[in-house]
Amino acid sequence: MTCEELREDYELHALGLLEDPERSALEEHLRNGCQTCTAGVKRAYEVNTAVLGMVPDVAPSRRLRERVITSVGGVSRRSVWNWLGTPAAAVAGLLVGVLLFRSLPVPETPEVARMRQVIELLNDPQTKAVTFAPGPRGRVLVNKDRGVLLIANNLPALPQGRTFELWVIPKGGAPKPAGLFKADQSGNALHVAPGPVDVTTLGAVAVSIEPEAGSQAPTTTPIIVAPVAD
Amino acid sequence: MSAYGKSGSRAGLVDPCVLLLPLLFAAISSTDDREIAQRLKRREPQAMADLYDRYGRPAYALIFRIVKDAGAAEDLVQETFLRIWNRAQGFDQERGTLGPWVMTAARNRAIDYIRSIEGRMAKNAFELEQSEQPAVFTDVEADILNSDRARRLRTAFEKLTPNQKLVIELAYYEGLSQSEMAARMKQPLGTIKTWTRAALRALREELGAEALAV
Repeated sequence: MTCEELREDYELHALGLLEDPERSALEEHLRNGCQTCTAGVKRAYEVNTAVLGMVPDVAPSRRLRERVITSVGGVSRRSVWNWLGTPAAAVAGLLVGVLLFRSLPVPETPEVARMRQVIELLNDPQTKAVTFAPGPRGRVLVNKDRGVLLIANNLPALPQGRTFELWVIPKGGAPKPAGLFKADQSGNALHVAPGPVDVTTLGAVAVSIEPEAGSQAPTTTPIIVAPVAD
Repeated sequence: MSAYGKSGSRAGLVDPCVLLLPLLFAAISSTDDREIAQRLKRREPQAMADLYDRYGRPAYALIFRIVKDAGAAEDLVQETFLRIWNRAQGFDQERGTLGPWVMTAARNRAIDYIRSIEGRMAKNAFELEQSEQPAVFTDVEADILNSDRARRLRTAFEKLTPNQKLVIELAYYEGLSQSEMAARMKQPLGTIKTWTRAALRALREELGAEALAV
């Protein structure tokens, strides 16, 4: 087989799923030092990583970090968040952080990307904010181009195997899922659902408690309903 | 008590800032992959913390998507990171990239797991093992997980036909070979190959990998 014929199979090879006769042919190319196929397989790992990274964001429990670190003899240190202590110190730290963030090249990790989305949404003058309370308290921010941001505190503890799910609810329409998230130990959460939002038809944003894998429609009474219609 | 707690329902900009702080500091203080890899090779346990802080969440999300069980997913994340720890000596920190390595190892652990509980024979265990050798991740681009490309890829994925989406999901998230897909979907193998190739071509083109691959 030629490189041209094999190029369609690079990703399957990188996934360990390619079968004969293509597998044997490609492996022969690689054994013989074929530069086209070697480069193609490298690129296939990039494509595969990107595809694998498309899954919905789900946060692991905090204890997992400790498990992983202690499994190699490390110590799970307190986070910067805890170290900062007071909100006043946190705000001061934030100002330093923002300045540094703007001036330094920061690797584009998923967390950095998420942070960028949040900052852009907060900074956009077209973003509309709605406060909700009582019970869980916080804000929903909606931007027609950038998506929906939920900032909440006083969220209830989740039962085992459950997660929070955000819903965008069109006026007179059925709720649409907008991502899963969890709160920290103090009940604080920040969740961003990026992407365009039709603000002219948007009626409300809600949060309900759902099974860990999420639901296509709410299965429990929402704990937050924030009307956002004009 | 948080700033929210003090201010009640009247939320101001200070609140999101406070909540953003861990993210900001994570970005600023994060060390690059090369340094983490060097420290992993020196068997510094704190390097494991940095590796986890960078890739723990996407690895968990991926494994959870595949196994759909939070407890099992956490076990498999731990196994994934231990595997990286134990094989770091073979990693080229000058030209290698940790993200694709972690994600590949995470997928493989999850696929192994679902195969074992489904009683599926691991026909390609050797290939899976080969696919996560550290040397494989030399000269693989580091920022492939960044949001812009991920967003473009999601857009491209949404444009695929239902059958093309299905074969991608079966390959990436269930570890099915094309023969296994053909049996599962009751379709001729040639049809499965056509769908798979068309889908991968679309995704590859969206990522700009097509030109590099020829």
